[in-house]
Amino acid sequence: MPPYKIPKRVKHRKEFRRARDRKATKGNFVAFGEFGLQSLEQCWLKSNCIEAGRIAAQHYLKREGKLFIRVFPDKPVSKKPLETRMGKGKADIDYWAARVREGTVLFELAGVSEARAKEAMVRVAMKMPVRCRFIKRRLSV
Amino acid sequence: MTDQAKLQATVRERLGSRYSRRVRDAGGLPAIVYGHGETPLPIQVDAHSTIREFHKGHKLFQLEVEGVKADGEQYVLLKDLQYDHLGTNIVHCDFARVDLNERVETRVALHYIGDAKGLGSAGAIMMHPLEVLEIECLITNMPEHIDVDVSGMDVGDILHASDVKLPLDTMVLMTDPEAIIAQIVVQAEAEAEGEEAEVGATGAEPEVVGKKTDDDSHGDS
Repeated sequence: MPPYKIPKRVKHRKEFRRARDRKATKGNFVAFGEFGLQSLEQCWLKSNCIEAGRIAAQHYLKREGKLFIRVFPDKPVSKKPLETRMGKGKADIDYWAARVREGTVLFELAGVSEARAKEAMVRVAMKMPVRCRFIKRRLSV
Repeated sequence: MTDQAKLQATVRERLGSRYSRRVRDAGGLPAIVYGHGETPLPIQVDAHSTIREFHKGHKLFQLEVEGVKADGEQYVLLKDLQYDHLGTNIVHCDFARVDLNERVETRVALHYIGDAKGLGSAGAIMMHPLEVLEIECLITNMPEHIDVDVSGMDVGDILHASDVKLPLDTMVLMTDPEAIIAQIVVQAEAEAEGEEAEVGATGAEPEVVGKKTDDDSHGDS
């Protein structure tokens, strides 16, 4: 099983779920590369999904270009075991997730042609639990 | 040097998000004109043609506002663009009134010319941390873009902002001269594998900041 990214240090072991239905006001444009993959829905993106996306892109690109991962799974999500009665405190951490909002850019690519980047991002998007779209760097003034 | 595209505009009588949305639905683009100590003027322009001009690299426009009498020709400089929540569609733009004889600070896009010889190496890619340069120049001399020749770049070479030759001597570079505009890097094998070095194994827990030992924190239990 491939190792997944988790934070090295945290302030609190567990945290509240918090509101999810918001639109991205930052991290919603291509900032580092030339092309990007943008989420069109909100989700808690599991660390293994991010890793799967990274592997899918690298397998296709064969170390061509540079892949930027714009999200980091810093949210611990807990889950009670099956057939457990309610109560007895908050459950153990089940997985780590990145908070993804509508518009968040998940991955970026630099140093490849648009056609190659699009093909790579299609493969990454298949690994994502949300609808995504391919975007390019936007006009800046 | 940039030529002045013409913009036909009408004054927006009713303001606010509701009316701006109606303007956009009708194919318009809400905008504002300000500067030179005059009252800001909310206007609307044709979205399709205006955005096409923006994509051509035009920033200086000759503005004609319907129903507003101006003393001579009015020139405006594109100052800011607002995007929707997905960061792709332009929903509003800011124009500043300018005089053709004044100097302005503006950002100019860089166009990279030529195929760098270092890109032939395996795993070499060209990175552009900066794709615009901030310059100060006379508004009539404002370039649409600056061409940068990268054909001579080899692996490991770095092009700084100070290496760019500005089209005119009167132009002043405002960007940090040491800022990197292009560099050719080789994706080391270690980098591809190295990401996993930071990765925690499944089931591992991160260190909790300021957490005391179990004996100290739960002494009475």
